[in-house]
Amino acid sequence: MAVPEVKEKYAGRIQEVTLGAGSRGKTVAIGGESTLPFLHFEGTVANRPAIAIEVSDREPDDWSPLLKEAWGDVMGDPAKWAAKAEELGADVIALSLDSAHPERGNTGADDARKTVRKVLEATTLPLIVYGPGQKDKDNEVLVAAAEEAKGERIAIGNAEEKNYRTIVAAALANDQVVIAKSPMDVNLAKQLNVLIGDMGIPKDRIIMDPTTGALGYGVEYSYSVMERVRLAALGGDATLQQPMVLTVGYEAWRTKEARTNDEVPQEWGDWAQRAILWEANTAITLVNTGANLLVLRHPQSVALVRKAIDRLMAGA
Amino acid sequence: MPLSDDTALLDGTTAGAQAPDVAVRLEPAGVTVTVPAGSLLEDAISKAGLRVALPCGGQGRCGRCVVQVKEGSVRRRSTVRLGAEQIEEGYALACQTLVNSDAVVLLIDAEPRQERIVGGDLADKVARESVPCDRRRAPVVSAYRVVVPPPDMADNTPDFERLQREMALQYGIRRITPSLTALARLPESLRNGEWTVTAVIEQRDPDVALALDPTDSAGSYRLLDVFPGDQPPRLYGAAIDIGTTTVVAYLTDLATGEVVDGLSAYNDQIARGEDVISRIIYGKQLARRVELRERVVGTMNGLLDEMLSRKRLTRDDILAVVVAGNTTMTHLFLGLDPANIRLEPYVGAAGKFPLVPASTLSLHVHPEALVDCMPAVGAYVGGDITAGALISGMTEGEEIALFLDIGTNGEMVLGNNEWLISCACSAGPGFEGAGASSGMRAVRGAIEEVWIDPVTFEPTVTTIGGDVPRGICGSGMISLMGELMMTGIINKSGRISPDIPTKRIREGHNGLEYVVVWADDTATGERDIILDDTDIINLLRAKAAIYAGAAVLCESVGLSITDVDRVLIGGSFGKHIDVEKAIQIGLLPDLPWDRFSYLGNTSLQGAYHALVCRTCRAEIEDIASKMTYLELSADNRFMDAFTSALFLPHTDESLFPSVQQSLEARKQGVSAV
Amino acid sequence: MALSGIQIYKVLPQTNCKECGVATCLAFAMKLAARQAELSACPYVSDEAKAMLDTAAAPPIRLITLGAGDRKLEVGNETVVYRHEKTFVHQPGLFLRLPASLSDADFAAGVDKVAGYTVERVGQMLRTDGVAIEGASADAFAARVKQAVDKGLAVILLASDPAVIEAGLAAAGNTKPLIYAGAGADSAALAPLAKKYSASLTVGAAGDLEALAAATEKAVAAGAEDLVLDPGMTGWADALALPAQLRRAAIKKNFKQLGYPIIAFPGSLSDSAEEEAMLASLLIGKYAGLIVLDRFDQAVVYSLLALRQNIYTDPQKPIQVSPGLYEIGEPEPGSPLLVTTNFSLTYFSVAGEVEGSGRKAWLLVADSEGLSVLTAWAAGKFDAEAIAKAVKTTGVAEKINHKSIVLPGAVAGLSGELEEELPGWKVLVGPRESIGIPSYLKLLASQ
Repeated sequence: MAVPEVKEKYAGRIQEVTLGAGSRGKTVAIGGESTLPFLHFEGTVANRPAIAIEVSDREPDDWSPLLKEAWGDVMGDPAKWAAKAEELGADVIALSLDSAHPERGNTGADDARKTVRKVLEATTLPLIVYGPGQKDKDNEVLVAAAEEAKGERIAIGNAEEKNYRTIVAAALANDQVVIAKSPMDVNLAKQLNVLIGDMGIPKDRIIMDPTTGALGYGVEYSYSVMERVRLAALGGDATLQQPMVLTVGYEAWRTKEARTNDEVPQEWGDWAQRAILWEANTAITLVNTGANLLVLRHPQSVALVRKAIDRLMAGA
Repeated sequence: MPLSDDTALLDGTTAGAQAPDVAVRLEPAGVTVTVPAGSLLEDAISKAGLRVALPCGGQGRCGRCVVQVKEGSVRRRSTVRLGAEQIEEGYALACQTLVNSDAVVLLIDAEPRQERIVGGDLADKVARESVPCDRRRAPVVSAYRVVVPPPDMADNTPDFERLQREMALQYGIRRITPSLTALARLPESLRNGEWTVTAVIEQRDPDVALALDPTDSAGSYRLLDVFPGDQPPRLYGAAIDIGTTTVVAYLTDLATGEVVDGLSAYNDQIARGEDVISRIIYGKQLARRVELRERVVGTMNGLLDEMLSRKRLTRDDILAVVVAGNTTMTHLFLGLDPANIRLEPYVGAAGKFPLVPASTLSLHVHPEALVDCMPAVGAYVGGDITAGALISGMTEGEEIALFLDIGTNGEMVLGNNEWLISCACSAGPGFEGAGASSGMRAVRGAIEEVWIDPVTFEPTVTTIGGDVPRGICGSGMISLMGELMMTGIINKSGRISPDIPTKRIREGHNGLEYVVVWADDTATGERDIILDDTDIINLLRAKAAIYAGAAVLCESVGLSITDVDRVLIGGSFGKHIDVEKAIQIGLLPDLPWDRFSYLGNTSLQGAYHALVCRTCRAEIEDIASKMTYLELSADNRFMDAFTSALFLPHTDESLFPSVQQSLEARKQGVSAV
Repeated sequence: MALSGIQIYKVLPQTNCKECGVATCLAFAMKLAARQAELSACPYVSDEAKAMLDTAAAPPIRLITLGAGDRKLEVGNETVVYRHEKTFVHQPGLFLRLPASLSDADFAAGVDKVAGYTVERVGQMLRTDGVAIEGASADAFAARVKQAVDKGLAVILLASDPAVIEAGLAAAGNTKPLIYAGAGADSAALAPLAKKYSASLTVGAAGDLEALAAATEKAVAAGAEDLVLDPGMTGWADALALPAQLRRAAIKKNFKQLGYPIIAFPGSLSDSAEEEAMLASLLIGKYAGLIVLDRFDQAVVYSLLALRQNIYTDPQKPIQVSPGLYEIGEPEPGSPLLVTTNFSLTYFSVAGEVEGSGRKAWLLVADSEGLSVLTAWAAGKFDAEAIAKAVKTTGVAEKINHKSIVLPGAVAGLSGELEEELPGWKVLVGPRESIGIPSYLKLLASQ
């Protein structure tokens, strides 16, 4: 008895979004696939998932010692940090303008411009620029970043349901990409895409962030939300066809497993191996449900994820 | 927006356990009451036998219980909807303010408590068309003229047995039992009427099968009362819908089946919570359940008394009462503990309720009249829905019908003549006109339709009765939301856009607000009629809950919402519901308009039919026993469907193709202008 | 194909007799559709209905049991392709491969490592399931199998010589081992052995699903019932593509020949323990029934067990965050204390608004079983008692220098009771909607 045909014929395709232009030595395209992750037998996987390395504009005081060890003193200088990240295999630099947070330096638009300029000069890679996550400051520094990087096709974020107008307007005016972040729910993700789309920004300039749950801390929620997003998108729902970015490094390194080795059970095993695997396994599990861009922190997990993606793309 | 005027926020002090008493004088009544320091102002007001409006149930949400503190010290837990100057002037929310010292407090205008039903006749007419029922054939109570041979020494059968014998001979009615009142009156009536009396006989059917044939004379009979002579007695019945928010009553002439009067009022229990959950929680202790019972009975008696006095009737003229209410309302009315209704696994004391003498329940009707509460099928699907399902006519054919009761509890039933499945989703009182800044019931002066000019953003409104606007009722809310969305004043997640160039959008106490009618153009002339961000969120949730409930109900039996052949809508929308607007906001599914019918207050009409027609009463029993109840509290599909519906018109735009088209058309129309 | 409630209802008696314990025939039909009831509960069901429902109820992926006693492992019986549709029910078994080349001491150490590994995570004890033992000579193999079985482990017999396999089967006794004779082996020839020892049998075919289906048909014809599939993954992309096709064929097409659990060996496609762990993660996420590892690092095993636990939870449960005290922006002892429930979207909106305000706050998340504020309050799961309990168990009083707690405005009605539950505390009523939080915090700060 012949095996029944199980190839799906999807009506939709994921939108391709390109980061980087102008002075960028490299551009990175993400999305564009017409099937679920790496199912080369039934569709095309137009672009491999890309890896961004997270770089902060201020030396993080809450990062794990393992990360500090790995990066050393470049952590004090976003330009050097970005350059080293490029050397270690990043496709994209995710620059966090954390110092603009009112409680963490309260730097303003001018500082943001300077930092963005410096980092643009230090690397040939495309940029994501994140604000500090506080409404007014996000609006201030992301507008500045979008203007400063005009012509470079960077991504700015996060635009959220409660604060998207200014950020989207800045991306529109300066020809940048916007990251639309929603709280781990397929409906909310879609709603935000609709609201942002209603402002008139083209679809090839929206990346969605459906919120990351780390291994052991809700990765299964991300898994299922992303899978629903992806199935709807392939099924033809044009409002969910944006590529997805996941802040895996941030979430994985917040977990107890990665952050510390104090008073943990012996069964948890070697700290460094565990911490790096925590990031890498979170990343690969979410790549398996549709992640197109991963923001990571540790050089070793970057290497592991890169090699895994190489292997997964090998069947193409 | 100050939410507390408590300057010692972080000092950790709190009211002592042994609070001294303070005296509160309430103006303009001039009443003084003594309460322990730290008591709520609302408690002091209640204690004085006075009242403030508490449509949000004393939760500090609506700001209607505002009073002015003229003298004395108070602590405000919350100052929702009060501006800084108002607080400066002593304004405070009675339900959220603790009185710390002797004080003088001024109560501000209260809304009229009772309203004649507007459009009641129309609702009645719809019912008559949808339920083919000759109501005069079998009312619960009828009068019989009986000529009784006087007793003599040869036949000294007592009066009642004598009457019994004649009823059997003349009308074939056997098995009559007397009420005590009737027995007490019988000897005098027989003799004063010179051996002709009018017997008021109540008939109850032993089971559904018998009752479905109204010509069957089996069943049980009760001599309710007896009058001398053959003057037809005044034979009236009351059909009462106990809504969580509103209580509505019909006074009916049982001899003709005509509704002679109708009246509605806010359920006085609202002072103890705006939704059933608040009431259940409030009623944890017996004393408070007694209070809740008294409050609703008070509301019902208020309506009865008013109708009786208008019709120049007396309490004794009302000989039968049918009550339809949701499960919680029925429990509270009968004095049953509803505590388990809200807790897993969500069960009430009973689904079917016994007939209870009106005297036991202190209703202002004939003391021997029996009160019949319509049967419930689940924790949140009660007698209002089983009665309403009858009126909807959904059980008459094979077509799949969806019956929606768009009220506080958002009950709905899906099915046809073969099967019925029901659920409830807490929608809140938004579509009953309560809980919103400028909300009101569907009575005269309520805005029921709104149009907004897409260029100037100026609104045009119509009101019920064409009166000067006083507020916005449920259908007005739907209309307004639809217009705000179609004109882009609110975005698809319901937020008012700050970028629209009109002075009608402004910063209010609860975020941005849109002014529908300026104060000068309102009936009171005092306050602008507005809709603010918080009102919109509440309406959005209400409509999302109802749509999500319908979607999950359909899904649970493997249907899509578009498979529904007929949508039958009940609710307190006054004259009508604007289907177009209701679809625009995603409250109703995007189906051809001819599939929708608006039936008015189906619960009340169902109660009325049960009163005047025993067949209808039996059918309601039958509906209750075959209706399946789906508990959504335990269903995560509902949460997902709800989030999905929490958007205008819906997250899945493809479910609302007609709205998509109009939005496109509007967009192009506006840009052409 | 699963039947809907209405489809089942049509063949039920429709008398609403309630004798099955359910209020109506339709409710009973819906329970049957959801596999929450047995048809036998209906005393009046017709034979026609019985026949129809029995066919519909057969699981599309066969349930396979390995091991015995408290380590009994069941795999298969899955009913959906995508996790959000319904729970993935049977977690994949995790095994360690023990090559024949190991010394007896190393073999024993390997068995001990697997048998001894157990770790607690969110209230569950997690452990690996067994060992895959490679056979050389019959006697040595039997001894090793016995050693593993004595430790209570489930075993996979990696051997191709029928004599060696039989020695292993005999040694495994009634512990339901799995025979794995290699990808190219003639499994039909081994079927009688599998049957004799009630063992399950692996059927392989390198990368060719047609051949695999033919092979299972042959094995079944030869008497085997409990089969496991080795589709012959030659690379990582294969490791996703082949299980995806098998799962779809079994569930969407009800293709019985491929309706068996899948076995995978990620180690043979990896260069390091970390890579092996990542491939195993992919296989846990998508459709492996049995995963045989070559390496046993505790950190690797722990991360895989955590992932397995996550993926095999009920997707219909509301998304929750752990109850507890959350710090938003390094709060100080004087920062305000807000309370909310542990429904994820509620938490996200409250925490998001506090973060967005740029202010610091303590956020107390009470256990409401994953319900939102109003829903939890309605169901009695977010009341004064629950909030007071959260205040006490988190020890928040030691972290702050004030005794004020901000309630969500939607449950303002709880303020009186909460003041009674928490003597000495002051209850403040916050905004009803989370969007009101920034201005509320601003107001608090100004006082």
